Amino acid sequence: MRSAAITFVLIAASAQAADTAFFEAKVRPVLVTYCVKCHGPDKQKGGLRLDSAAGWQTGGANGPAIKPGSPEESLLITVISRTDDKTRMPPGGKLSGPEIAALTRWIKEGAVAPVGPARVGGMTLAEAQSWWAFQPIKRPAAPRNAADNPIDAFIQSKLAARKATLSPPADRRTLIRRATYDLIGLPPTAEEVEAFEKDTSPDPFARLVDRLLASPHYGERWGRHWLDLVRYADSAGENSDHPLPHAWRYRNWVIDAFNADKPYDEFIREQLAGDILAVQGPPGDYASRIIATGFLAVARRFGHDIDKDMHLTHEDTIDTIGKTLLGLTLGCARCHDHKYDPLSSKDYYALYGVFDSTKYAYPGCEFKQQPRDLVPLATPTERLRGVFIASARTQQVAYAVTEGRSHDVKVQAGGDPEKPGSVVPRRWLEVLGGQPLSGGSGRLELANRIVARDNPLTARVMANRIWLHHFGRGLVESANDFGVRGSPATHPELLDWLATEFIESGWSIKALHRRIMLSATYQQASASRPDLSVDPKNEFYARFNRRRLSAEELRDSLLLVSGQLDRTPAGPHPFPPESAWNFTQHVPFASFYETDKRSVYLIAVRNRRHPFLGLFDGADPNATTPQRQTTTVPTQALYFLNDPFFHAQAEKIARRALAKADEVDRLNELFVAVLQRPPTNRERDLASGFLSRYTNELATAGPDKTVVAWSALARIALASNEFLYLD
Amino acid sequence: MFLPSRRGFVQSAAAGSMLMPGILSELLAADTVDPLAPKAPHHKAKAKSVIFMFMSGGVSHVDSFDPKPKLIADHGKQVVFDHPEARNRPGYEKLFLKKPNWKFAPHGKSGTEVSELFPRVAEQVDDIALIRSMHTSHSNHYNATLGMHTGSFSFARPSIGSWLSYGLGTVNRNLPSFIVLAPQMPYAGTQVWASDFLPGSHQGTRVVPGKEPVANLARRVPTDKRQQLELDALKAFNESHLATRPEDADLAARIRSFETAAGMQAEMPAALDLSKESEETLALYGLKRGQQDGFGWQCLVARRLVENGVRFVELIHTGSSGNWDSHGNMAEHGKLAPQVDQPMAGLIQDLKRRGLFDDVLVVWTSEFGRTPFNNTADNPGREHHNWAFSSWLAGAGVKRGIVHGATDEHGIRAVEKPVHVHDFHATILHLMGLDHEKLTYRHAGRDYRLTDVSGEVVRGLLA
Repeated sequence: MRSAAITFVLIAASAQAADTAFFEAKVRPVLVTYCVKCHGPDKQKGGLRLDSAAGWQTGGANGPAIKPGSPEESLLITVISRTDDKTRMPPGGKLSGPEIAALTRWIKEGAVAPVGPARVGGMTLAEAQSWWAFQPIKRPAAPRNAADNPIDAFIQSKLAARKATLSPPADRRTLIRRATYDLIGLPPTAEEVEAFEKDTSPDPFARLVDRLLASPHYGERWGRHWLDLVRYADSAGENSDHPLPHAWRYRNWVIDAFNADKPYDEFIREQLAGDILAVQGPPGDYASRIIATGFLAVARRFGHDIDKDMHLTHEDTIDTIGKTLLGLTLGCARCHDHKYDPLSSKDYYALYGVFDSTKYAYPGCEFKQQPRDLVPLATPTERLRGVFIASARTQQVAYAVTEGRSHDVKVQAGGDPEKPGSVVPRRWLEVLGGQPLSGGSGRLELANRIVARDNPLTARVMANRIWLHHFGRGLVESANDFGVRGSPATHPELLDWLATEFIESGWSIKALHRRIMLSATYQQASASRPDLSVDPKNEFYARFNRRRLSAEELRDSLLLVSGQLDRTPAGPHPFPPESAWNFTQHVPFASFYETDKRSVYLIAVRNRRHPFLGLFDGADPNATTPQRQTTTVPTQALYFLNDPFFHAQAEKIARRALAKADEVDRLNELFVAVLQRPPTNRERDLASGFLSRYTNELATAGPDKTVVAWSALARIALASNEFLYLD
Repeated sequence: MFLPSRRGFVQSAAAGSMLMPGILSELLAADTVDPLAPKAPHHKAKAKSVIFMFMSGGVSHVDSFDPKPKLIADHGKQVVFDHPEARNRPGYEKLFLKKPNWKFAPHGKSGTEVSELFPRVAEQVDDIALIRSMHTSHSNHYNATLGMHTGSFSFARPSIGSWLSYGLGTVNRNLPSFIVLAPQMPYAGTQVWASDFLPGSHQGTRVVPGKEPVANLARRVPTDKRQQLELDALKAFNESHLATRPEDADLAARIRSFETAAGMQAEMPAALDLSKESEETLALYGLKRGQQDGFGWQCLVARRLVENGVRFVELIHTGSSGNWDSHGNMAEHGKLAPQVDQPMAGLIQDLKRRGLFDDVLVVWTSEFGRTPFNNTADNPGREHHNWAFSSWLAGAGVKRGIVHGATDEHGIRAVEKPVHVHDFHATILHLMGLDHEKLTYRHAGRDYRLTDVSGEVVRGLLA
């Protein structure tokens, strides 16, 4: 529940906003667009500033610019209505009728404008400095209590205040299913469950976690969380939705980076500035670092002629970087200063300049079909010798970015590139220091600022995400928004403890998994308890949160239990060759390719939702997704009743069970394959009864009849809540 | 039930309190168990459901619903505009007015002029509120189509049908709240009916004519009896699983979803089954018995769906190709109009005689109009035109037989009572009992709404 204090802040903010709404809507845009460039912070022609009440009240060489209440006596109105021959403003041409009318009305009504101390966006500087997320991260001491694991100590101290305790540990089967899905997105095998249940060594769970973290499937699960955040797609998203035949290299790079436990600071630096680092670093890392900048290249493209809508692509980039890396809704500052958080429009355009100084690979669009500016993976030296060496890599390219022409950009009034304001130098966010971003585009410097030890956001945001994916809810529930409109942390000290652990471990994500998973908090049972009704959302972790499998986990599990899963990583999609492309907004690219590989390798098309992933709440590749929804809708139930793929997997499992001799063994085989446990006596009776009633309904005799009935039983097992939900 | 009472509590606690709408919607959204449960509107609704007919590609207003005698008189005269479709376009340095291909005549008691392109709709003009002053923010199909559906011209946002489903829920849980009858994919693809950040249960369900109108709708096992045995056994397994987890509303909801799915398996084909419709009704829609395609099929199915409680039915005529985008030759309009004219007129008549015209709001629109000029006067086609076009509303809560707004003498700009897409959306929501400024959803730190930051209800259209 939102705290009363926050609610009060919001109401106060909205009342103030109402007072000055007319100024903000009609007056400030005119002043910013036409006046402040010469009469503002950068220049003060005639000594006049029009960017604050103090400025227009003091006025310039000719006295006050405004007399509140009297437009006819206000110099500002005289010069803009051009009734005076000497001074006519603005010099570029007369304002429109409505613009003059707005300024006149505003002065007539008293020239009300926001007053108060220096502000950045929606906060005063003092407020910004005291906002929790901008406080430096300090390592809090774990509370002293019975818990010997610091995470449990933090959790238990909050629980104790509510006279509650952790739940008992989950049973071994539940635990291995939970951990295996959690780390590799697949169920454990029956053998793995049995071995874990019988393991009498002192630390079986720690060894299980280590085994799972070392699995190549770990990156396919946790890389997918990252791909959700960076709105990864295999098509560009512009009106003809051109395919991105090389984007897969970035997808696989993310998976590999998670598997290698690439330190998170390096992981970010390479994604933002890998092309710059590639030149500096060892040649062996060159290609991988180029590929990493696919993070920027896969930014969504817009419109018919995508060059004309690059301002929207930059918004997509800045919005994604803000939410994903910093937990800040930077995109809100495109059209105006942020209404709540300390982020200004200048902050936005200071970063915009960085990306406008970057050259993006071009995916093609309706009337320029062919891609260009794809980035070679061979090092410059290799390319120089390219004709002589037979390395295939000399031919390979990535959908990536390179340095462009370095320049600063102008603020765009209302986010409209046709309304340029004053130039903003490329720099870091003012609230976090505002240091210049120099050196080429400024991307490397930006990346360094984001991962700097004194940036209070990056480590907190990522530690919160790791917690979120383990427990189903972040310590900060709004994982992409650490600002005023986000939710406050339920356990702020624990969050800071995790963030410092994260940094001190060398930004190791795997170390943080281990830390979290070895806590009693992670290993407790999920069963509800009568004494927990006061905490229906389980914000204080007195039990584990039951969860539904994600779309990918569901499909991968179906393939695995039917024996069809191809565990090898995928490469490129079988797109038509570029030479054959002729995509238009009338006939856009829109193909889905089948595969038996893991679902992280399914194609993600921007303008067409993948039918299966869309049905089960897969990530929308058009915007950063911090957490999947879990909807329960009848069209999902129709999938479990009638989908041909689903039916086919069930039949394969049935046939495997039927290889056993008698019904008891067959039922064991089926239940163990699907649920990693034998049936209970009651379930055995239920299944037997079902099989005989169902067989009676079948017209044909013979072995087919058995397969049909057992396939139906397999569908029931696969459609069960026990299969779809993890305790 | 525990959750509906919580919802009731939240609503009554919030009524007249200082809770901001965004927080309220977030509290209410926390009720994920049945997001489609019917909800009270903001004010008394005039309409219970919407049939939204979308003509893909851009219908020429000056050839259909916006008569411009001066355009005929000035045919061939040069005009100068900084038009988005002519800017920096080789061969479009000069623009000339171009007269319509079809003649206009007054119809009905209202005397509203409609062209020969839509003779059957013209006969129903006394029941229509025609808007001749529509305008929109983009001249590209993709962007304008997205804008007409989501209020956003670039970014993916929830569709109007999703907003209505979110705001009002639905009365028949055996059918989706938002159904799209679209034989072809439109511009901007599935984004046109996406729920985007709204809960997924509000996304449009696409129904296509043919054997399997909804994915996985057709029962794959051969008999009802066998499916029932499977459903019973599944329920038995799931209930013993639930018995040890009795507090979990999601698990219970999923058990119920199978019952709803089975209901949908029965009700959807029944709603799509036109065999019991009379010859007379079929004729109204221009349908032959047994016919399962064409816009007549879409219109008649739409009537049956709203009769069965579906909140929002969208009918898309054509898709991203073979559509109203008559650049090459306006004569193509002449081939397309007969596909929709009789069905649309029949729908109005059918709704009236069944007493549904007071409950159902019928909307007809395109993503934009077409230029009343071209680079030569004898160019047979017309280009995209977002400065002005015509749309109409009919039915519940809407004035009958009126014309709202006007374009200039050549049909180039909406000059009198202009209606932007946001105003159009605000009006539709208003008729459904929702205040477009209060229907918000908190997402990524912001309260989003269908009408972005503008939009005003067009009072002149309200009965």
